[in-house]
Amino acid sequence: MEILTGNELMSGATVYLDRDGNWVEDLQRARVFLKEETEVRDAAIAATKKTLRINSLEIEAVTLRDGLILPDRIRERIRADGPTAPRFDRQHLDRDGHVSI
Amino acid sequence: MYRYDEFDAAFVRERTAQFSDQVNRRLAGEINEDQFRPLRLMNGLYLQLHAYMLRIAVPYGTLASRQLRMLAHIARKYDRGYGHFTTRQNIQFNWPKLRDIPEILADLASVEMHAIQTSGNCIRNITTDQFAGAAADEIVDPRPVAEILRQWSSLHPEFSYLPRKFKIAMSGGPHDRAAIRFHDIGLQAKVDDRGIVGWEVWVGGGLGRTPMIAKRINEYVPNEHLLAYLESILRVYNRYGRRDNKYKARIKILVHETGIDKIRDEVAEEFRAIANGVLTLPQAEVDRIGAYFAAPEFERVNATVDVAKERIAEPAYGEWLDRNLHPHRQPGYASVTISLKPIGGAPGDATAEQMEAVADLAERYSFDELRVTHEQNLVLPHVRVSDLREVYDALVEARLATGNAGLITDMITCPGMDFCALATARSIPIAQEISRKFSAPERQKEIGDLKIKISGCINACGHHHVGHIGILGLEKKGVENYQITIGGNATEDASVGDTLGHGFAAEEVPDAIERLIDTYIARRETPDEPFIAAFKRLGEAPFKEALYGNG
Ligand code: SF4
Repeated sequence: MEILTGNELMSGATVYLDRDGNWVEDLQRARVFLKEETEVRDAAIAATKKTLRINSLEIEAVTLRDGLILPDRIRERIRADGPTAPRFDRQHLDRDGHVSI
Repeated sequence: MYRYDEFDAAFVRERTAQFSDQVNRRLAGEINEDQFRPLRLMNGLYLQLHAYMLRIAVPYGTLASRQLRMLAHIARKYDRGYGHFTTRQNIQFNWPKLRDIPEILADLASVEMHAIQTSGNCIRNITTDQFAGAAADEIVDPRPVAEILRQWSSLHPEFSYLPRKFKIAMSGGPHDRAAIRFHDIGLQAKVDDRGIVGWEVWVGGGLGRTPMIAKRINEYVPNEHLLAYLESILRVYNRYGRRDNKYKARIKILVHETGIDKIRDEVAEEFRAIANGVLTLPQAEVDRIGAYFAAPEFERVNATVDVAKERIAEPAYGEWLDRNLHPHRQPGYASVTISLKPIGGAPGDATAEQMEAVADLAERYSFDELRVTHEQNLVLPHVRVSDLREVYDALVEARLATGNAGLITDMITCPGMDFCALATARSIPIAQEISRKFSAPERQKEIGDLKIKISGCINACGHHHVGHIGILGLEKKGVENYQITIGGNATEDASVGDTLGHGFAAEEVPDAIERLIDTYIARRETPDEPFIAAFKRLGEAPFKEALYGNG
């Protein structure tokens, strides 16, 4: 299973593509693509690239555990939550930071 | 301190305006990220894991108080109220927003600062000994020549697209406090038979994936020919440096693969062609720039401080005096290291309030001068011994009075996976745990001089290869894993540390370090024999056993 993630242009904030085609802050709202959905996933990537507003676009492997999305890589868990030491809140989107496809 | 002339000021102003326009075009969708990325990197703007990161140059690690105040202002207004000082003597802000960058650069330009040459395959910000212009053991203040090199290298048209980035470090004395043997070019001040100061030139040092100790390419280059000689090295590198493989593109690989003798000949030939030309540096120019760095008007005082007595009266103050002072060339003065390594803190971080407190101290007690060290601390270079108590009290107030310079808790630590997009593991939490484990002042004192250096990936920004104990964070099957190296040394006795066996899980690292320390203490000849000397004498075996048992 995979999700799409990137950094929003204005704030640099970590964002995820949700089921409605919006790029949102909350990992748990991310759309999970199954193995057989690579075409939809790639179409979403292409549409996102057209917006010019999402940088460092990446496909990330995830696992579902107790209904929660858990990224496989530690790096992604840290990206989702913000730095662990010193503990800082993650970067948030500005009001004009909304991107959708 | 150097002040911008009209050319510098106009150049930085124009660059700010140019980048402001580029940001606007990016925000308006007129250029895409592939087009914008190289432009933002040329202005020190990176995109990290959580946000943008702006890296600001602190040329040769020297700051005036108004500049540090401006950094505090930027931290507060555009970031999250703090900044991170790096091993390149620069400062990084971890949370700026793209639209604020032009304003930040304009604010920086107003105090003669910028973020140019902090990224890209150009000659980067030149670093020096943090006690430059103050140290008792100094032959010459390297900063005038560093400033001349800054002017020569800034946007040098021939060297703006080198095979890879290029770092120069300088030391004005025989004791290398700038790790010059681990830079692309290292310059060490030297006096010739006639008593004239010039530079011993080292080339091809570096850390990262392939650590190398630099080789001496020239025993003595006088100021007059330094620019032409360095230009010759850069030309040879630019011509032969490998552009086909990023991992082999640094000059250290060229020197290693070609051999220093052949490189020396190539450089000599290039030098013959350009020597005595436009790059000849007239003494008058060295003197003109040198005047900006003229020693302050020191008072003739002969005060001393009785550290042993102060320690009895107040142990924390005594410890701070013992560890955080460096001998000054002027009797009655000392250089003060301000530790940015509080117990359990994030190494190298300072809040806006702390920056302002340090700026006030510099203004009041250190002729308005400050230094950033490559070990991620700050320095007040010229403090009257009679003012030390007042300085200490103010540092206590600012929570900056940790008396641990050069001790086990004074670790170099890169941002690691908490911030850095290239990281394979976290570094800061490891430093924090080690710091807590060895927090007791008596324990630190018992251990004595020890340099632990931590990197969150093989790029080695945390200089782990040259830590007496080095820690390298890697990822192994999705889990952070830490390799420990021993025996590195960044000074004139340069050496690269060795890995003695398998890596450790994060939670095992502090105990592993403790086993190394206990072995050292048990085996040292006297309490004065430092860790690195004991390691050299004893060899790897006892330390290997401490880490892995004798199976
Ligand atoms: S060593 Fe690696 S993790 Fe640390 S700052 Fe450098 S690139 Fe980032």
